[in-house]
Amino acid sequence: MEISEARRIVLALFAYRRRAGLNLGVSELLAALDAVAGGWGVEDDADLHAMLELLWCKSAEDSRELGVQWENVLAYLATHKDSPTLPETTPESSRPFETPPRLEQSLPPQETIPPRAAASESTPGWNVLPVKAPFTPAHMDEAPDFHSYGPVSSRFMTYTWRYLRRPLPDGPADVLDIAATVERAARQGFFIAPVYRRRERNHAHLLMFLDQNGSMMPFHRFNRDLATTAQHDSALMRTDVFYFHNLIAQRVYADPHLTQPVELSEILGACTVDTVILIVSDAGAARGYRNSRRIRETAVFLARLKQVAAHVAWLNPMPQARWENSSAEMIARFAPMFQMDPEGLSNVIDVLRGQVMGQYAS
Amino acid sequence: MPSSTVKQYIFHCNLKEQPKDEHEDVPNTPEPYIATPELIRAVNLAIYLRRPLLLEGEAGCGKTRLARAVAYELRLPFYRWDVRSTSKAQEGLYSYDAILRLHDVEVKRHGGETGTKRDPANPKDYRRFGPLGKAFCVEDRPAVVLIDEIDKADLDFPNDLLAVLDDPWEFKILETEETIAIGNPALRPIVFITSNKEKGNLPAPFLRRCIYFFLKFPDQQLEAIINAHYRDKKGPNADLIKAAATKFLDVRQDSALFKKPGTSEFLDWVEALRGFELPDQKPPTVSPEALPPYPSLLFKLRADWLKYTGA
Repeated sequence: MEISEARRIVLALFAYRRRAGLNLGVSELLAALDAVAGGWGVEDDADLHAMLELLWCKSAEDSRELGVQWENVLAYLATHKDSPTLPETTPESSRPFETPPRLEQSLPPQETIPPRAAASESTPGWNVLPVKAPFTPAHMDEAPDFHSYGPVSSRFMTYTWRYLRRPLPDGPADVLDIAATVERAARQGFFIAPVYRRRERNHAHLLMFLDQNGSMMPFHRFNRDLATTAQHDSALMRTDVFYFHNLIAQRVYADPHLTQPVELSEILGACTVDTVILIVSDAGAARGYRNSRRIRETAVFLARLKQVAAHVAWLNPMPQARWENSSAEMIARFAPMFQMDPEGLSNVIDVLRGQVMGQYAS
Repeated sequence: MPSSTVKQYIFHCNLKEQPKDEHEDVPNTPEPYIATPELIRAVNLAIYLRRPLLLEGEAGCGKTRLARAVAYELRLPFYRWDVRSTSKAQEGLYSYDAILRLHDVEVKRHGGETGTKRDPANPKDYRRFGPLGKAFCVEDRPAVVLIDEIDKADLDFPNDLLAVLDDPWEFKILETEETIAIGNPALRPIVFITSNKEKGNLPAPFLRRCIYFFLKFPDQQLEAIINAHYRDKKGPNADLIKAAATKFLDVRQDSALFKKPGTSEFLDWVEALRGFELPDQKPPTVSPEALPPYPSLLFKLRADWLKYTGA
């Protein structure tokens, strides 16, 4: 394979992957072109494919995707010998979740006989025309909202918990204070011992109430991620997680299977000035119920929470557009409620830190 | 682009004994390693582009050993950085002992002797380079750096590292006001990073910078690996190796295992089969029907253990 040919494939594949909404940067393109210029991947197609896979793919799924895209781009380039890269993006194919450019539409009619066959043919004779079945893209759900409203990764959760902190210097005195040490040595005229400060510890106490079962069934994984990241991967001094189903009454449960009841008064009695409370529930938005009993009791419960905790926030796994006309719409008036996406989770943390959000500023 | 003044390094994964090298950090004991052609390609691409090679895969499949094997074959200095949960990116570059310097000043002022060549007037005597910092200081060739188990560290760690392992390839030592930089692109370190995905995926900007390779268990190469390891010593006989490899693969095929034994366990197991004998017992045999001997070397979880000891 010529270097120019390899460059052409790399450029076309890069453009194709960018258009497919994959997160590839210019530096990755430059790296691939560098490698090609240095003689990598110019042996044959498989060699180039392997090289690009190493550079551009970070998981088995990535590699599978690249395999499909590779086929498409090669098939396209074989029929478009002279165009440098893929054709201009039509408005249709520029949409993020519609990957494949429609080959059969963009083929000019005179190129149905590939130029390669025509050029290499010096003596007349019978020949099989290379035929490639037109690429028919698989049906995709046209729901870009669904895609952008994706789940929150556990890494993001861990990052976010970090912003929830109330640092107090009451840990072991083992942080060397160099400035104070030098200053004291200068004042006393001799050096006796280094000065240590107390280590700061995060005194935040997070109390989480997670709605389980019923309409929350699809979000159990998210609940679990929230609970485990807060309990194990955060610097919070204390995290208590309790579970309930639909309504919080006298008791909540210490386990996700709702078998070990705990008195609510006991839990609220253990709250301190550092306690913040996070509730995760769809509040009836998943099925669109509007249940006045649920609204009333939740309001009473929220009022009780506000008496003992510094801040209360509500995370709703359903998007905000679905709250309308359900209990969630009403309950959102009693407590700051956010939909579950990275932004919503960040907002929740802001509320729990005591920062006033615009719409709840009154 | 890598310049042509320093030779281009190409890893072939040959098992030849290498000549001794005067650089003290070049590994001088051989590191037998069997790599697939795909892995060799990945290593060479990483060397060529000087991008970090991120290795993921099962435990005990040779992620960590690869870096040293490359350093040994190419005669390059090797620096290993074992990441811990408290590791900070700066520790890999340098640490600075301000208190020791203060101590030395006081000792000197009161007429004492520190008994070393340290001069408190010279701040450079109190900085110590970490593995990555040392790699930046090698002047005649690139160094090989292994950043082992990067996923154990804090979440920010990979991103902090990124700032150093990218243009302009330099870092500053605040205390001495030095800037350590690599001028010649051909001298940039060859970085290997291993991860077990303990805390989920690494951050996207970091992944974008790396060349990614997933190490699979070397099913087809078990015998070659054994032969490589016993190249100079008296190894087990060919029948035993074959029987052991077959039995081992059998065990790994068992999808009910909670933890599959890896290459390192296999090596230990073969060594036990070859050389370990209790005084009044016959050496155990490996047969396809019987349970594997020395299960303690293969099964590290109670459930697996119970299943394979026939208890």
